[in-house]
Amino acid sequence: MSGAPVSISVRGVRKTFGKKAFTALHGVSLEFEAARMHGIIGPEGSGKTTLLRVLLGLLTPAEGTVAYFQGGAPVDFETLRPQIAYMPQTQSLYADLSIDEHLEFFRDLYGIPPADYAARRAELLEVTRLAEFSGRPAGKLSGGMYKKLGLMCALLRSPRVLILDEPTTGVDPISRRELWDLLYRLLDQKILILTTTAYLDEAERCSKVHLIERGVVVASGEPRRLLEAEGARSFDELFLRRASAQDA
Amino acid sequence: MNRTLLGFIKKELTQALRDPRMKFIIFVTPIVQMTIFGVALSTEVKNIRLAAAFSAGDTVLRDVYENAINSGWFVPARAEGELAEHPFEMIRADKADAVLVPPPGGFTRALGRGDASLQLLVDATNATQAQAVDGYLKAIVARTVRADTGLAPPPPPIRFDVRVLFNPSLDTSIFLVPGVMTMLMVLTTMVLTNIAIVREKEMGTLEMLISAPVSKSEVIFGKTIPYVIIGMTNLPLILSVAVFLFRVPMRGSLAVMVLATFVFVCTTVSMGTLISTFCENQQQASMGGFLFMFPAIMFSGLIFPIQNMPASVRWLSFIDPLSHYLSLLRSIMLRGGDPRTLAWHMGVLLVLGLACGAVSFRRFHTTLS
Repeated sequence: MSGAPVSISVRGVRKTFGKKAFTALHGVSLEFEAARMHGIIGPEGSGKTTLLRVLLGLLTPAEGTVAYFQGGAPVDFETLRPQIAYMPQTQSLYADLSIDEHLEFFRDLYGIPPADYAARRAELLEVTRLAEFSGRPAGKLSGGMYKKLGLMCALLRSPRVLILDEPTTGVDPISRRELWDLLYRLLDQKILILTTTAYLDEAERCSKVHLIERGVVVASGEPRRLLEAEGARSFDELFLRRASAQDA
Repeated sequence: MNRTLLGFIKKELTQALRDPRMKFIIFVTPIVQMTIFGVALSTEVKNIRLAAAFSAGDTVLRDVYENAINSGWFVPARAEGELAEHPFEMIRADKADAVLVPPPGGFTRALGRGDASLQLLVDATNATQAQAVDGYLKAIVARTVRADTGLAPPPPPIRFDVRVLFNPSLDTSIFLVPGVMTMLMVLTTMVLTNIAIVREKEMGTLEMLISAPVSKSEVIFGKTIPYVIIGMTNLPLILSVAVFLFRVPMRGSLAVMVLATFVFVCTTVSMGTLISTFCENQQQASMGGFLFMFPAIMFSGLIFPIQNMPASVRWLSFIDPLSHYLSLLRSIMLRGGDPRTLAWHMGVLLVLGLACGAVSFRRFHTTLS
C-alpha cells in the first residue's frame, strides 16, 4: 500500500508535562483526511506544537490514541514513519553546513538512491529557486531561504505526509507566498499536509482549519463554513472576538 | 558499513573540521601543549636558593657550597647586610630556601676535632622541595668531605647496590610525558564528543534526526565514530613530540600502541556520550567535562602516585580510564610492554567503555518526553 494517500485520526489525546502536571492537550479529537491541507491555528501556547509532536511519535500521549490509515486501511506508525516528513519550528538546520551538504546528509540519512537524489535535488532547487545559493552555509541564509531549505530537506524523500510547524514565521511576504505555492504543488501529489501557523490569512488558504485554544479543539472545518458559522468575516475578526470573550 | 552511518560520519567530520579555529584546536594545540607541558612539568627540584655562612678559613664548607652550586640544583641566595648574618631570618624573609650553618669556629675545624655536625635550615613550606634539598645536600656534603679530608662518613649498616631500570638517568620528563599525552588524548576525544552531541540537542537539530527514520544506534554511532577517528589522528602528533623532542623511548611495538590508544579513545568517547545524556546545553556540557576531568587527572597517577592513596579512595583510580592508559603508555614506551599488564589494562578500559556505552544507549532518548 506504500504510496497511497494517508489519513490520521486522533481520538481523545491528553498530554501532560512535568510534576505540576501542566496539561497541554485536553482530550483532542481530530480527523486529518488524506490529500488535503490542514491548518492548525490557535494562540501561542495553545498546544499546536505538542499535537504535532504527538502525531510524530516524539511525545507519548497520557491518554487517547492516534491511528494512521493508508489507502483506507489501518497502518502501523513505524511502517508509515519513512513516509512522514517533518519540519520543526525551531531552527533545526546546521548553521555551518551548506545547502548541498544538508541535502547530501539527508540523502544518506534517508538512504535515497543516487539517481533519484540527483533528479530530486535539481527539482527542489528549481522550485525553491535556491540553486545559485547551494554552496552557502545555512547560517548565512535569509529567513525565507532558511525555511525553504528546511522544507527541501523534509521533501527530499517524497513523503506522503508533511508536517510543518510554523513554516512561514519570520519570513517576508514574498517568500511566504512562494512557500505556499510550493505547498499547493505538493497537494497535487495527494500528500497529506499538516501545518500550524500564526498568520491568520494563511488559515484561509487551507482546505481545513482546526482552531485550538488551551489544549481544546474549539472549531474545525472548511475555512469559509467555519467563518459563516461563527458569523465572522475573517479569521482575524474571529480570533479577536474569541480573545476578548475569554478575557471577559 | 551502512550508508546512513557513513553519511553521518561525513557530516560530523565536515562540521568538526570546517572552522579553522576548530582545526587549530584539534591538531595544533595538542602539539603546543605537549611541548609546553613537557618542558615545564617536572617533579625535579631545581633552582633552590642556597646560602652558607662560612668564614674565610672554612675551606670544606666553602667547597660544599661551591659543589652544591655546580651541581645545577642550587643557585646562590642573595642577601645583604644584617640579613646575611641571621640564617633563620634569611629564610623567613624568603631570600633563601636553604641555609647551611656551621658549628662555632667553622666546619673545617669541627671536622678536625672529629665532631662533624653541620646544621641545615630548610624551608619546608614546600615539603617535596625540602625532601629533595635534604637528599641532595647530604650526598654533596659526604662527597666533599671525603674529597677534602679523606674522612669517610659513618657507614650505614646496610649498603644498597641500586640499579635504576628503564630510566637510568631518573629523567622525570620520561615519566611525565606519557601523563601529558594521556591528558591531551582525553581532552580532544571526550570533550568534543560531549559537546557535539549536546549541540544537536540545544540547536534543535536532534528533533529532526530522531523524527527521521534513523535508528538510535545509527544516531549514536554516527555521532561518536568521527571523534574516535579524530582522537586517533592525534596519536602520531603527540607521540612524535614525545619521542623526537623529549627523547622518551619507544621500546614497545607501534601496533600495540595504536591498539591501546584505540581502546582508550573508544572508552573516553563513550564516557563523553554518557556525560552528554545528562546535559541540555553546551554550558552544562563544558561544566560536565570539567567535573569529569579534574578527578580523572587527580586519580590517574599522573601527579600523585596511586600507591599513596588510602585504600578507601583507591578504587576511584581503578575506574579512572586515564590511570589505565597512563599505565599502558608507561608500560609500552618505557618497558616495552608486558603482555599481561597490557591485557589487564586494556581489559579494564574495554569493560569501562562498554559499561558507559550501555548506560548512554539506555539514556539516549529517541523521543522528546
